[in-house]
Amino acid sequence: MAARVLSTQEMKIASEDDVVLVRRAVRALAERRGFDSFASAALTTAVTELGRNIWVHARSGMAIIEELEDGLRPGVRVEFKDLGPGIPDIDWAMAGGNSTASSLGLGLSGTKRLVDDFQLQSEVGRGTSVRITKWKRF
Amino acid sequence: MNKLGITEQELASRRAYFQLTDGDLTRLAALRPFAERHNDAIVDAFYQELILKHAESRLFFTDQATLQRAVAAQKRYFLELFSGVADLSYMENRLRVGTTHQRIGVAPKWYLGAYAHYLRLISDRLLAEQGPSAETQEKLRSLQKIIFFDMAIAIETYIAAGLDALARHQAAIRELSTPVIQLYERVLLLPLIGTIDTARAMQVMENVLMRVVERQAKVIILDIAGVPVVDTRVANHLLQTTEAVRLLGASTVLTGISPQVAQTMVQLGVDLSKMHTRASLEEGLELALGLTGRSIRVKEA
Amino acid sequence: MQSGQIPILRIGTTLLASIQIELRDTTAQSFQEDVLKAIEKSRSRGLIIDITGLDMVDTFVARILTDTGRMAKLMGTETVLVGMRPEVAATLVRMGFSMQGVHTALNVDEGLALLAQLQGAQGRA
Repeated sequence: MAARVLSTQEMKIASEDDVVLVRRAVRALAERRGFDSFASAALTTAVTELGRNIWVHARSGMAIIEELEDGLRPGVRVEFKDLGPGIPDIDWAMAGGNSTASSLGLGLSGTKRLVDDFQLQSEVGRGTSVRITKWKRF
Repeated sequence: MNKLGITEQELASRRAYFQLTDGDLTRLAALRPFAERHNDAIVDAFYQELILKHAESRLFFTDQATLQRAVAAQKRYFLELFSGVADLSYMENRLRVGTTHQRIGVAPKWYLGAYAHYLRLISDRLLAEQGPSAETQEKLRSLQKIIFFDMAIAIETYIAAGLDALARHQAAIRELSTPVIQLYERVLLLPLIGTIDTARAMQVMENVLMRVVERQAKVIILDIAGVPVVDTRVANHLLQTTEAVRLLGASTVLTGISPQVAQTMVQLGVDLSKMHTRASLEEGLELALGLTGRSIRVKEA
Repeated sequence: MQSGQIPILRIGTTLLASIQIELRDTTAQSFQEDVLKAIEKSRSRGLIIDITGLDMVDTFVARILTDTGRMAKLMGTETVLVGMRPEVAATLVRMGFSMQGVHTALNVDEGLALLAQLQGAQGRA
């Protein structure tokens, strides 16, 4: 069954405070939809990592938070979009242990392991979009 | 309400899908005096001709008081179709009714059969009273739309309740498949039995971490004697669990390592050097007690 | 950069920092500086960082905590991280983040006992 979108919320990310607000919004949504504490912690952590990427690498961007339902299973999808420098070598960036601005390394590959679906699109000079989805566990 | 995730956005798209327009709602509101006039007769007929006629549905009404309550609720339910609103509180109300039906065991076939019967009863009366004009057809269409709109909510409530039950059962199975036992003060044991796939490994880790914090355990023994296949994947899950337990401030002891598992681990190049491991549970327990500053001593005769 | 948002208490030769607020990157960075300054000022031997209050620790904050422990060690102070929540431990491990070299304990009491043990071992060495 195709997932349907129950609600959409767009938030701008232009500062650290904005990342905190996005994280709170996602956590509130996950909790409202009955995510267990482990799933909710994984999702909020992923959101924080990706949100930080935006203001570290691109200075500003957007987070689009969607409340999903597939059959009757709730899910949360968050898309992070920026018009920043883009990622020159996605495979290299996804391989883990690689990060240019923060030397943290695990940003993208670690985040991918926390969610059910991870879609990354990037074009040098045009920007980056990362879309993560997490479903409530039965 | 939250369970089905109904929001204003979803309500709007539902109404669009069922083509339930403001015009329909206005027409329904205008039908209210008609519905009120016929409501008692329809609901009474509805009970006599359908509900009480069939043994299965009759069983719900063992006494007169229950029957009267149900009839009164039924009358309210049908009149609400003519309230002229289909907003969030209307849906919430319908959901509540659906939940009640599901809880007391009204099967979907009875619900749908009964609603179809009601629609026939009220259509017949409307046609008889107002004639088969184009206008009457319009009114019947509006009525049909809101009834189908209602039924969708009811069916989804049934499905949601079924999934809920499934989730509860799975939680129970999860609980059973990772039985954490307190062996001694601050020493826990988790005997793992059966195949460990990624989903189960995750559950094992989460359960272990929760119990360690809950009981403030210093050591948890993971006994893998009952795990048929220990490959690189399983070994990595065990390593992850061990590391997570360490982050909490406790230790893991892995026991039940058969010669075969030891061979596999070394051949696969899995580094278990960071783990406390023992061949048998007995030795594992001795080690665990040692880690908590205790030892087992044989009493002198 | 705001400083002093996370109180650092001194008990004998041990410093105790209990993080009770939602950590932002800048708060985490100033926390690291505050801790190191406190070590310098108090000539402490042990540091306990209580993170019971954190319901989420991402790699940035985890890295700051790990680094703070390493830096403290260079200044002669052992660090014990206490009270990590199950959800936090599971998330860090799943991301592949390793907090190698960091001492951990279930709670503050155990943290103090571990520090005493570590300092005893050091004293004997």
